[in-house]
Amino acid sequence: MNLTQELELFPDHTVTQMLFKEVKNAAELRQSAVDGRINGALINPTMLVNPFQVLVAANKAVHLQLIGKMKTRSLNSEIIFNLSPTNNISEAFKRFGTSDGDESVMLVVVHCKNESQLLEDIAAQVDGRQVPVEDDFEKSYSISLEETCGTLLDAVVCRMAIKDVM
Amino acid sequence: MTPDHLVALLCPPLHNPRRRRGGNMAPEKSATVPQFLRGAELVKQGAEARVYRTQFLGRPTIVKERFSKRYRHVALDEKLTRRRTVQEVRSILRCRRAGIPAPAVYFVDYTSHCIFLEEILRSSTVRDHIASTQQSASCTVQELDRDQDRELVQEQELEQLAQQVGQILAKMHDEDVIHGDLTTSNMLLRRSPEDRGSDLVLIDFGLSYISALPEDKGVDLYVLEKAFLSTHPHTEALFQKLLKSYSASSKKSSAVLKKLDEVRLRGRKRSMVG
Repeated sequence: MNLTQELELFPDHTVTQMLFKEVKNAAELRQSAVDGRINGALINPTMLVNPFQVLVAANKAVHLQLIGKMKTRSLNSEIIFNLSPTNNISEAFKRFGTSDGDESVMLVVVHCKNESQLLEDIAAQVDGRQVPVEDDFEKSYSISLEETCGTLLDAVVCRMAIKDVM
Repeated sequence: MTPDHLVALLCPPLHNPRRRRGGNMAPEKSATVPQFLRGAELVKQGAEARVYRTQFLGRPTIVKERFSKRYRHVALDEKLTRRRTVQEVRSILRCRRAGIPAPAVYFVDYTSHCIFLEEILRSSTVRDHIASTQQSASCTVQELDRDQDRELVQEQELEQLAQQVGQILAKMHDEDVIHGDLTTSNMLLRRSPEDRGSDLVLIDFGLSYISALPEDKGVDLYVLEKAFLSTHPHTEALFQKLLKSYSASSKKSSAVLKKLDEVRLRGRKRSMVG
């Protein structure tokens, strides 16, 4: 069900992605995230193209945290910010973070290797049905001609990686 | 464009005014990338950087690591290396935005000056392609007719390649991206999965920068011309086809080609007769 990947550059950090549908408590979850009571990033899955996108965002977030150069206040909010192609933080949260009426939620947790209990506890806070994470998310990204010179995913990921110097 | 070493002198190092809002106050440099690279396969070592192949987040990835030059002053070296990394990455994105194939960037570590890029699979350099095409075109002990046919087909293939290269460079220069190191080793021919022919991918933007000047574009082409003709003998006509294709595809080509002629006259060991 969960999709897990260890970050090669940061061996103590593993990223787990959990996708939920028919979510009934999105507003409550969003509030918990704002209050810092939920130890994961709540993302709007309709904005995602592929799980790799999340990994790239998480990798960058962990890197910036370790060198003390995050642009937002927490690792989880940094992951959400990194998903956005722009440098505007509030816009990033609005577009990529979970909103009150959302019916599906992508929960991303960065943790140490074998923390199944932690993941279960966090997942339990979501009132919805967990489904397997697959490669065919709804595409809601605006990319220009880049699509022709590679996949949409490559275009998205490339933008994410370079935006801070554009 | 101001030469790099002068930039460092003109811009005195300011104390970094950026507010540290995020997380902990960890040390500035991250040692994780260099450590990770010890397990990676070293593909190439150039004057400026080392190139590795590895797996990153489940994907085949190329890592380009710019190393420090000990003979330089530390602060200048840091500034220069960072600037080069930023320029490289900006040029790649600028090209991609215009639909010019270049590897996707997955991650940039500005502390260790490493760029993690998409590995272009199922590809070979244009250099190798031209070399192998030319080699198989040379006559062996066979019937004359068949050889002539084969030579013709290969000639057409090379001409088509020259046309493709001209087109892609025209597009790049129209975007005001100067590659800076145009050689046939820095162009990849990627075979498409259904074998519908191949497309060109530009790589190694390490010396690239943004400029609208025809002079800079002319020099870019001049570098390619020198590299092309010295690497591939008897290809003068082929290169002319490339320039023709460039001229037909670019809106600003006449000024650039004029500059190319001027630059050719400069060079080394050139007569100073005006």
